[in-house]
Amino acid sequence: MRLHDLSTTALKGVTRNRSRALLTMLGIIIGVGAVVLMTSVGKSMESVILGQISVLGPKTIALWPGKNGPEQGAATLNPDFDSLKISDVEALKRLQTVTNISPIIFMEGKTTYGTEQTDTRVGGTTPETYTNQVVTIAEGRFHDAQDELEGRFVAVLGTDTARDLFSNQSPIGKRIGIGDHKYTVIGVLAPVGSQFFQNMDERVIIPFHTAHIVSQRTYVDMVTMQSTGDSADAIDDIQWLLRRRHKIVPPTTGVPTDNDDFLVRSAAQAQEILGTVSISLTLFITMIAAISLLVGGIGIMNIMLVAVTERTREIGLRKALGAQGRDILLQFLIEAVALTFLGGLVGLAAGLGVNALIVGIAKRFLENYVFAVNPIAIVASLLMAAGTGLAFGIYPARKASRLNPIEALRYE
Amino acid sequence: MASSESTPLIELVGLNKSYVNDEVETPVLYNINLSISNGEFVAIMGPSGSGKSTLMHILGFLDVPTSGHYHFKGASTEEKTEDELARIRSTSVSFVFQSFNLLPRTSVFDNVMLPLLYNSTTRVSERRDKAMKAIESVGLKDRATYLSNQLSGGQQQRVAIARALVTTPEIIFADEPTGNLDSASGTHVMEILQNLHRAGHTIILVTHEQATAEHAERIIRLHDGHVVSDDRTFTRRIAKRGNQIK
Repeated sequence: MRLHDLSTTALKGVTRNRSRALLTMLGIIIGVGAVVLMTSVGKSMESVILGQISVLGPKTIALWPGKNGPEQGAATLNPDFDSLKISDVEALKRLQTVTNISPIIFMEGKTTYGTEQTDTRVGGTTPETYTNQVVTIAEGRFHDAQDELEGRFVAVLGTDTARDLFSNQSPIGKRIGIGDHKYTVIGVLAPVGSQFFQNMDERVIIPFHTAHIVSQRTYVDMVTMQSTGDSADAIDDIQWLLRRRHKIVPPTTGVPTDNDDFLVRSAAQAQEILGTVSISLTLFITMIAAISLLVGGIGIMNIMLVAVTERTREIGLRKALGAQGRDILLQFLIEAVALTFLGGLVGLAAGLGVNALIVGIAKRFLENYVFAVNPIAIVASLLMAAGTGLAFGIYPARKASRLNPIEALRYE
Repeated sequence: MASSESTPLIELVGLNKSYVNDEVETPVLYNINLSISNGEFVAIMGPSGSGKSTLMHILGFLDVPTSGHYHFKGASTEEKTEDELARIRSTSVSFVFQSFNLLPRTSVFDNVMLPLLYNSTTRVSERRDKAMKAIESVGLKDRATYLSNQLSGGQQQRVAIARALVTTPEIIFADEPTGNLDSASGTHVMEILQNLHRAGHTIILVTHEQATAEHAERIIRLHDGHVVSDDRTFTRRIAKRGNQIK
């Protein structure tokens, strides 16, 4: 019997009892649907987080003051955390493994223009920050070394802040108030989006030197820099330097300890952590898939056994008409595989449909959330579904192929 | 239906059949010696339990004898594997059953196409032509797209006959073909079988009804597994054909 005839026969067998076929497929549909959905959501989340990390640039290293253990994030703008001194920043500049060192002082007070005002965060930082954070200018210019040197009262605005204060008019050359001082707007940043669930388009940047003078602070809230080589070596150097300067006993294991009064992280580290998370997520999903396909497969076997019994006379007839055992075996096997594969396709469609729904909702909260699918997961789950049909279809199919034609024909 | 006149189509020599069930051997057929030639219309008659169905199954390659010889077209059929028997069934014989045995919820056309699936030498377009011709020959051309369960019993049996014809087999076995039909439909079915016989087909009819058997030109009676008579009273065309008699 030819393959084409076999598949046609098997498909007719499936479609002859549609509602039962659908119910049989349900386990496979749910299994494949769940896998497709969860891997897609995982992929979307991954792209959201990766997108945020890439805002930092791959070689960027961030340093915060902090008393917390390495697992907690640093508390910024906390006046208690004054451990990172400006002298520390100067000392960092002597390290060979880092460059582009850019300290930040976050300013207090509202930003105003005329009657408009906002609580936008104001950061005093050096021009290196534009490289470290990978931002581009939309209008006007970045502040430069000259602005730093002279401690000029100039400001660069995030795109949302510019819109909040100035609506549709150009902010360039306008004077805004920050705390007790007036600053001239010299540039507007291109949109960046959210970074770690914080809107990076709502900010004001002023020269670090100016912020230092106005705030009269001797400590900074954050330092960004770039590693010149391997970021792990750079982190080692930073830790060594700061522990020595802050008289902290270095841990024997080499990992950060509770003794540290600073936190240092690289974008590469963040990506590594994300990779670990995504591997364990994949394992988890694979387990769910395996269990649901096993359950679905047993359901398929059950129904195929019922079908063999129900269609005993049909099998007898086919044999009387000249079907060989192999023809019957393949017919029922292909039927089982067709059931699971169709179930897989329906599950795929359902998973993608629900995913599209989730994307529609999530977009309102996470603007970087985009529709994403994991092609490997889709192909793998479809193959696994078909494989389930093969594995669980073989026993009923063998049973069918071994029926005695006379007894089968007499079967009532 | 050109075939050698000297070699019978079917030749049974000292054939025995017994079934073993729970180590108890039940003999069904004893020392059957029989010869059937090409183009004959033979009825195998007998009460239930006489072994007529078993004989038909053996003749139709659905079952194998316990001992004795079965020569088909002069060739021995012992020692054939199941696959080889299936191949003979797909090309040389076909069956019409008492209970029609059509595939449910399947069109008349697809039912008639069914045997050709296992006869893979034929091309698809050729198969369609053959199926349509077979359906036409039993007068169901306008019902080809109907589902089998939408037909009357007589129509279903005619579909079964079309299905038996489609592979142009050497023998058509009809196992109580009128058993589930009213007398009018039964007569119609027997007329079709007689027409097939006149067209040259070899037909072996299994029945327990004298009236049905009388459509055949030769009646072989079985009783308790023995051939008790081989009667050619009804051989209207025997002189013309010159068949061999054992």
